Amino acid sequence: MEVLKEKVEEEEAAEREEAAERAERMEKMRPAEVQKEETILTQEMLRNLEKKLSEIKIPTPAEPLVVTEDTVDISNLPLSYKTNTPKEEHLLQKFVSTTIRPTLMPYPDLYNWDGCANFVSDFLTRVPLPDPLKPPSHLYSSTTVLKQQKGNCFDFSTLLCSMLLGAGYDAYCVNGYGSQALCNMDLTREVCPLTVKPKETVKKKEKVQPKKYTIKPPRDLTSRFEQEQEIKKQEEAKAREEKRRWEEEERLLEAEKAKPDPLHGLRVHCWVLVLSGKREVPEGFFIDPFTGRSYSTQDDNFLGIESLWNHRNYWINMQDCWNCCKDLVFDLGDPVKWEYMLLGTDKPQLSLTEEEDEGLNDDDDLQDQGKETEDKSFDMPSSWVEQIEISPEAFETRCPNGKKVLQYRRARLEKWAPYLNSNGLVCRLTTYEDLECTKILEIKEWYQNREDMLELKHINNCTGLRTDYFRPGHPQALRMHAYKSMQPENDRVMEFYETARVDGLIKREETPRTMTEYYQGRPDFLSYRHINFGPRVKKFTLTNTESNPRPMVKITEQFSRNPEKPADEDVAERVFLITEERIQLRYHCRDDYITASKREFLQRSEVDSKGNKIIMTSDMCISFEVEPMEHTKKLLYQYETMMHLKNEEKLSKHQAWESELEVLEILKLREEEEEAHTLNISIYDTKRNEKSKEYREAMERVMHEEHLRQVEAPLDYLAPFLAQLPPGEKLTRIQAVRLKDECLSDFKQRLIDKANLIQARFEKENQELQKKQQWYQENQVTLTPEDEDLYLSYCSQAMFRIRILEQRLNRHKELAPLKYLALEEKLYKDPRLAEFLKALA
Amino acid sequence: MNRIYDSVEPRVMDDDLLKLAVGEQGPQEEAGQLAKQEGILFKDVLSLQLDFQNILRIDNLWQFENLQKLQLDNNIIEKIEGLENLTQLVWLDLSFNNIKVIEGLDTLVNLEDLSLFNNRISKIDSLDALVKLQVLSLGNNQIDNLANIIYLRQFKHLRTLSLSGNPITQADDYKMFVYSHLPDLVYLDFRRIDDHMKALAELKYQYTVGELKHQEHLRQTRLEEERAQQGRLEEHKMAFVENLNGSFLFDSMYAEDVEGSKLSYLPIVGELLEVYKDKFVIICLNIFEYGLKQYDKRKLELDTFNECVREAIQENQEQGKLRITRFEEKHLLNLSAIREESELLNIEKKIVECSEDITELFNVLMTLEMQLVEQLEETINVFERNITDMVGLFIENVQSLMAQCRDLENHHHEKLLEIAVSTLEKIVKGELDEELPDDVRALFVDKDTIVNAVGASHDIHLLKIDNREDELVTRINSWCTHLIDKIHKDEVMRNRRRVKEINQYIDHMQSELDNLECGDLD
Repeated sequence: MEVLKEKVEEEEAAEREEAAERAERMEKMRPAEVQKEETILTQEMLRNLEKKLSEIKIPTPAEPLVVTEDTVDISNLPLSYKTNTPKEEHLLQKFVSTTIRPTLMPYPDLYNWDGCANFVSDFLTRVPLPDPLKPPSHLYSSTTVLKQQKGNCFDFSTLLCSMLLGAGYDAYCVNGYGSQALCNMDLTREVCPLTVKPKETVKKKEKVQPKKYTIKPPRDLTSRFEQEQEIKKQEEAKAREEKRRWEEEERLLEAEKAKPDPLHGLRVHCWVLVLSGKREVPEGFFIDPFTGRSYSTQDDNFLGIESLWNHRNYWINMQDCWNCCKDLVFDLGDPVKWEYMLLGTDKPQLSLTEEEDEGLNDDDDLQDQGKETEDKSFDMPSSWVEQIEISPEAFETRCPNGKKVLQYRRARLEKWAPYLNSNGLVCRLTTYEDLECTKILEIKEWYQNREDMLELKHINNCTGLRTDYFRPGHPQALRMHAYKSMQPENDRVMEFYETARVDGLIKREETPRTMTEYYQGRPDFLSYRHINFGPRVKKFTLTNTESNPRPMVKITEQFSRNPEKPADEDVAERVFLITEERIQLRYHCRDDYITASKREFLQRSEVDSKGNKIIMTSDMCISFEVEPMEHTKKLLYQYETMMHLKNEEKLSKHQAWESELEVLEILKLREEEEEAHTLNISIYDTKRNEKSKEYREAMERVMHEEHLRQVEAPLDYLAPFLAQLPPGEKLTRIQAVRLKDECLSDFKQRLIDKANLIQARFEKENQELQKKQQWYQENQVTLTPEDEDLYLSYCSQAMFRIRILEQRLNRHKELAPLKYLALEEKLYKDPRLAEFLKALA
Repeated sequence: MNRIYDSVEPRVMDDDLLKLAVGEQGPQEEAGQLAKQEGILFKDVLSLQLDFQNILRIDNLWQFENLQKLQLDNNIIEKIEGLENLTQLVWLDLSFNNIKVIEGLDTLVNLEDLSLFNNRISKIDSLDALVKLQVLSLGNNQIDNLANIIYLRQFKHLRTLSLSGNPITQADDYKMFVYSHLPDLVYLDFRRIDDHMKALAELKYQYTVGELKHQEHLRQTRLEEERAQQGRLEEHKMAFVENLNGSFLFDSMYAEDVEGSKLSYLPIVGELLEVYKDKFVIICLNIFEYGLKQYDKRKLELDTFNECVREAIQENQEQGKLRITRFEEKHLLNLSAIREESELLNIEKKIVECSEDITELFNVLMTLEMQLVEQLEETINVFERNITDMVGLFIENVQSLMAQCRDLENHHHEKLLEIAVSTLEKIVKGELDEELPDDVRALFVDKDTIVNAVGASHDIHLLKIDNREDELVTRINSWCTHLIDKIHKDEVMRNRRRVKEINQYIDHMQSELDNLECGDLD
């Protein structure tokens, strides 16, 4: 922060001060006059006046980099400002652009502008400006704002602008004037964005170019005149209806309209402007930081702009705002429209003016250049704001305390952080019938992380219909469940994720007397089954409902076309009329036919005159065949078909019964799930997942202990000898003495062994050297100089080795007794043996 | 083989035998009673078992068109015959017979399982048609040559093979040979093939099998090439310009032209011929390309037409179906109402209503159909006009190109004549320095001879050109006529079928209603 203090020289707030003053002046002048004259003046005159006034306007000082002391009296500030904020934030004057610190947040959700805007609007709580007609005297750094989770529109905008710039947008903070609703974050006249149904894109039917040989339509023989009359009549009725509706709407709007705001056009607001060019933004737009919503630059809520800034520069609006922001041109390179503060920005000047400059002011060029180089030396100072950081916890909790309530027109939106509610509720939208929000129309509740995968609960208060939507993964593959009551055998619709089900069921609809099932992708091509139930037969035995299923009256099954079978043999629909003992079959229609074969079986077991059972007679099967075939006329064929169908009927009945059971099961499961509402915790969620947390902590503990042991445990002389004794038992005195003796003798042995080893090596080296010398003396005459060299070098090396060995041996001889004594002493002091050996010592 | 055939009279496969077998093997119990009542038609039989019948000759099976399984094992059959009609056969058992040669199986394309166990076969052969063969049982035969295995390579679906009890199995590496040469085989001689052994065998025979594979591959590519060429030629034929994409026509002009080839020995004629040929070929190529282009155009036209017609029919059908569905719904309600009605008067009234409904449906459907007929007729006429125009244009253009050919020929002829005459003069004057073959020199006896020779050659050439042109024109005209005829005929057939269908349906509905009436009145 020391650096910052030194930078005071470069920083300035006078500019902002100036701007504010100017704005104030303007406000005082303009809107007052406007309001006064409003009734008398026409728009045209108003505009002229405006023009004149703006001509009078004092231009911004040419030398904006004036350093002045802070004129704001700190003692006037509320106490919290002093205590809660770091000193630097209000003590020194800084250039407003340096409050913006472009930062890219490490969350993928915050990579796009809508994500950022929603986050800012959720994360911060709005604090009204101290004076709604003046910009605040000072700004807080975004880090402080994030810490406190509250701020005014300037704080909101600064934070949002920093994030957007970090994400690569061409974003600016805007100081200007907004409507009352905008400044007060009053959404009560706005339609909740969640209630707006996505407009159904009406697909334009492509006018198919009639092909060369398309047949001509049959001649139209109806009267043209009558048609026209009819159309006329319809249009009239339509127009009447339209008018009525329009009037109605008008009336409603009138009722809803807010009282005119006396301070209209004076309320200071700050918002964010995103210009086109970067991140594929097609055209510039505004973002209101309070709501996180985007508006077009033509929107009625934005009444005027004083200035805009980002981390690079500061621009003052030189354009007229008589028509809100609708006529503003956001070409920041045009110095006529936007007076800039620092030269050398990345915004190129308009090419036109540049050319003019070059053409006309040749003599001024030198001067200009000098000025430019001079000006360029004023680089934008780096931001004084500390690194903007959002912790993962804060990011997840989002709203202050994890809860936020928004009031919209006829709607109320409540938001919670995930895991805040034990049933996983994260969002609730209540829609009301009236403006006063007393009559609830419907409630929508969004859930997250639920174990039963419930995603959305929709309760319609008028009809009492409740609809639950599930994400994939419900144990019964449920996708949607609409019901009025959880009692079985009532109106309900269940939809399923058909790929998760073995039977390919998509949808099951129930009414008290019917059940309809829709299937897809089954190997038997079943696509639809409809079951009609009869009234339950009262049984007088003591049985509960489960053992007394409703009798089935009729089962209708439809099949899609099986391409492997000829159409005449592929059943399209079969109806089992169970009470009438009839089976109706309808086959698929052949490709170039319009009628389909049909067959009807009557299952009557009759006895003929002789008392024999009649197996099959021709009148038991009535069939219509598109193309009569020989083999189907045979009784045998019919008999076999009927036998097959009887079997199928049994199966269908059984399946229907199973479906009923399944409904009961699902209902039971749903009730249990509602009761338990356990939440799922991802295994990657290291904070919440208890199991993984425990495991991780255990691992850490183990690691730590391991480390400790490695550090602490020195070599234990007694370990190998203690290991021989039975573990866990206390040492006896004899054992202790023996242990000591064993240990000492072992050590002694080792010392002796070592001495012997060194001695042996020493002798071996000596012998080898002698041998070599002997050999040399014998062959001295015949040796070549190289061999001699070799011999000599070997000799010197051998001598060296022998000497070393000799030294080691001597040293060992010296040290061995000392070592032995040291061990003995150590053993006497060893806590395990000490008490037994004390006596000995 | 130990049976003594002489002692037992061979049985003849006559109707009685077959009927008995069918009856015995047919449906049982209740269904059997029904079957007995009605009798079973041979063509409905799917499976037939005729074992231990002492049959010598397969006969009388032609009626079993849909037979899928036939067992003729343990007979004394000596020759495979009489199975030509059983094209649906999947399973054929001819084991324990006296068959010597595999034959007579060429029509059984669906056969998957063939058993010739315990016969006297010495060579695997004549199985080419059985592309779906999966199981082949040839045990206890007299196959003794490993080359027979290679023959089995062509059956891509063969999984089970039995050759046990053949002399072939005595060969040292019989198993290895089979494993390596039939890599898709799973079972050999009732045992599953060990993967390890298979790998070993493949290693052992990798070069011979590789060679075989290579040859097979070559054969395959050659076949494909031929097929592709055939396909191209077919396409060109469809465009009526086959063999015009080269010097085929020109060559054919000179193929039968004795004098022409003789004359080409004359000086300069060679060069002249060369130039002439080039020009001629260029024109031919023009015709060829033009023909292909026109063919595409015609095809496109026809496709569009077909598509439009199909769409129209489809739409009409949809309408018809919709009407019928609507009618059926109403009709069903009516019928159930009638059934529940007890008042006789009301019943009659309702029945009348119903029959009115049926009549109305009939009228609606027939109107739809008539409308479609009219629409289609108009479209067909337009198409006919267009296609005829196209064909006419094509013929015209081809004829003009052919005329260019003829011009070339005439030009060439003139030049040739000139050269011939001058050569004659030279010969007469004895100024010819070049040597001419004797038979050519024989032409230059006098002026008439040489002029006649040149003329004859010219005539032949013109004739060839004329023939080609005629052929093209005739064929395209006949194609056009056929096409139009077919379209008309198809449309008529379609119309008749639809009318028949409607009538049938209406009749059925009416008769159903009548039946109901009778039933109620009873």
